[in-house]
Amino acid sequence: MDDIFTKVREGNAMHVRVWLDNTENDLNQGDDHRFSLLHWAAREGQTKIVEMLIQRGARINATNMGDDTALHLACSHGHRDIVGMLLHHKANINAINEHGNTPLHYACFWNHDQIAEDLVNNGALVAMANKSDETPLDKAKPKVAKILTERAGSLGQDLHKIPFKDRSWLGYKTRSRDALLSRHAGINIEQLKLQGHMATTHSGEVWRGLWQGNDIVAKVLNLRECTVRNSRDFQEEFPRLRIFNHQNILPVLACCNQPPNLVVISQFMQYGSLYNVLHGETGIVVDQNQCLRFAIDIARGMEFLHTLEPLIPNMYLTSKHVMIDEDLTARINMGDYGFSFHEKGKLYSPGWMAPEALQKKPEEINMRAADMWSFAIVLYELETREVPFADLTPMEIGMKVALEGLRITIPPGISSHILRLLKICMNEDPGKRPRFDMIIPILEK
Amino acid sequence: MASSPNTSTLPTPRKKDESFFDKVGGTLGRRKSKKEALELQEEGKNAIDSPSSPTKADVGPEGYLLEENEERSMIDPMSRDDPKLKELIKLLLEWINDVLADDRIIVKDIEEDLFDGQILQKLIEKLANIKVEVPEVSQSELGQKQKLRVILEVINRILNLPRLGTWNQQKWSVDSVHSKNLVAILHLLVQLVRHFRAPIRLPENVRVFLVVVQKRDGMLQPRRVPEDITGTNEDVGGKFERDAFDTLFDHAPDKLNLVKKTLVTFVNKQLMKVNLEVQDIQSQFHDGVYLVILMGLLEEYFVPLHSFHLTPTEFDQKVHNVGFAFELMQDAGLPKPKSRPEDVVNLDLKCTLRVLYNIFTKYKDATVA
Repeated sequence: MDDIFTKVREGNAMHVRVWLDNTENDLNQGDDHRFSLLHWAAREGQTKIVEMLIQRGARINATNMGDDTALHLACSHGHRDIVGMLLHHKANINAINEHGNTPLHYACFWNHDQIAEDLVNNGALVAMANKSDETPLDKAKPKVAKILTERAGSLGQDLHKIPFKDRSWLGYKTRSRDALLSRHAGINIEQLKLQGHMATTHSGEVWRGLWQGNDIVAKVLNLRECTVRNSRDFQEEFPRLRIFNHQNILPVLACCNQPPNLVVISQFMQYGSLYNVLHGETGIVVDQNQCLRFAIDIARGMEFLHTLEPLIPNMYLTSKHVMIDEDLTARINMGDYGFSFHEKGKLYSPGWMAPEALQKKPEEINMRAADMWSFAIVLYELETREVPFADLTPMEIGMKVALEGLRITIPPGISSHILRLLKICMNEDPGKRPRFDMIIPILEK
Repeated sequence: MASSPNTSTLPTPRKKDESFFDKVGGTLGRRKSKKEALELQEEGKNAIDSPSSPTKADVGPEGYLLEENEERSMIDPMSRDDPKLKELIKLLLEWINDVLADDRIIVKDIEEDLFDGQILQKLIEKLANIKVEVPEVSQSELGQKQKLRVILEVINRILNLPRLGTWNQQKWSVDSVHSKNLVAILHLLVQLVRHFRAPIRLPENVRVFLVVVQKRDGMLQPRRVPEDITGTNEDVGGKFERDAFDTLFDHAPDKLNLVKKTLVTFVNKQLMKVNLEVQDIQSQFHDGVYLVILMGLLEEYFVPLHSFHLTPTEFDQKVHNVGFAFELMQDAGLPKPKSRPEDVVNLDLKCTLRVLYNIFTKYKDATVA
């Protein structure tokens, strides 16, 4: 398993595919120098694997310790097809590494003329200076430099030198993750450096802490008493929550099973939940586009969860169960899974649930269709910035939605596309609601 | 001494064709013939050690020849047909089978299946969550009785009764249980049900008649003596510590209405939100539905309608609801209700009030909007 990096370098596509299918494997993990799988595949020219990784949601702009992105590596090693693919998937074309070099610097330096041209055609700045105050043009052969200058000029680029600016303090770079994260399933509570109490929720006590140098949150489940049976069920259920192979799923990293304490450990997300971002005061500007991106992220995450067989039960979609990562990716938080023995018979967010899910047992209904209803409510939230049924208590909401036909009221002024989507996702007949794989293309449009 | 250990039972109805003496004498005689001399000796010692059994019930036909003024008792055959008694036996059997369901033990006949202590052992182990160290199965009568003695001693200790075999321990003994004495077995089971607050409601005032035969002036004189098996369920309440509600009921019935009114107001303030209203505490909470909804309103969650019965009709459904509400209360940090779910379902006003008052105490000041 340690050798997945080698397999990627060798181009063993078969092996990589099998590895990626294992939910416990994190495709965004990095090696000792924080090279991700995508870095290696791009460097070694493993086109098929690059394609596979992108398809599975690898982070395009992840950086290694030298702040190189996969695009830097593909450019220096002259893999034109890969450069094309990365650009197509919105790789940051002017990303700078620790030397202040952009991918174009490398393409020019290593004389990959065609790649350099492609880059400029796609908006790479020819006048960007690195730390040594050299632009890509300074690196290129005079003949190539001339062609590139002309091309840039014709595209309307300002050819005045752009001085190097150290932006690393902004902290917008996303390093590949520590590969160790996904290797530990059960850990000792002593190993967690719990630093501060964050919150007391209905489901448990939430603490912030450090584990192997990573910021984590630890949720100590709220139980009246922890029986041997609870502990056993916990042990059986939590491994399914360690889903590292999808970027829109926030996995449970590990658990401590030490009765009376059952602890669920997840990565710390500084922006908190989508609920928090939308209705709290985080200072994040969420414009129309960002909303749509959140919606697509959530739909992708749900689509992935719906491919699992059997479905992970008691995983209810609400904006409280979606976390926002530092790069503003929305990720469904597996830490909000409801353990079978935990909070039995209590639903704290009925406003997001389909009427049939409020009435019948999960095994009696189509849970995937019920999730689609919940997605519609989140979509409504994204569009209106309103908490659904904000003025009612959960018991009132549940009774009224389940028995009295209460539904959200969609305010005027909402875009007609979204309105139509809301209507089909919230079809009263669960059988007529679409699947997530069907609505993702609609959202992307 | 109506049900003293030397009490014998008549054969069960299905064996009516056999005569009483045939049966007892026959089986015991056969067993006896197989016994070793040593065992006989042991048994003799054992008999002497049992202070409350001057004559043993199973000493063979000759044991039933009475001395002057000595007496024997047996259950009046008419009593066996009493519907209340039949109901009691049926309930007890169901209860035992319920408790022992996990052990895949099925008891069919209350007299025939319990006498050797095997089932009683499983029962007390399960109920009290203990382990009684006794040999597994014993075929010999002596072995069975020794085992039974250990088990009954454990039971008596748990029930806080005098030690087995002392003069005031009258209702059951090793010999009476082992000789399949219905009255003794019933007394034992009823006490267990009461002690462990089993979720069944025993029929009240079950009474059987015993035929007591005494030899006077060389003549056998029979007489009928009543024996109470269950009494009233009200007695059961008396065993638990009294609380404010007992005092209220006994000494200030006039204040009762005030308490009721306060509770109704408190409860309605919550239930109003979901368009429900309570007028009568005693009857409107008994099915548990409002209790469940009340907890959801107070603790701010919704209870999915599949986890309880919204319109219960059966007793079991109501008990489930009330039991579930009790769970929710304990989750919310309330003390475990002293009442049993069955009491609430059975419209026991005092129990219902206790439950509601418990909730009221915790939430009365909370400003739940």
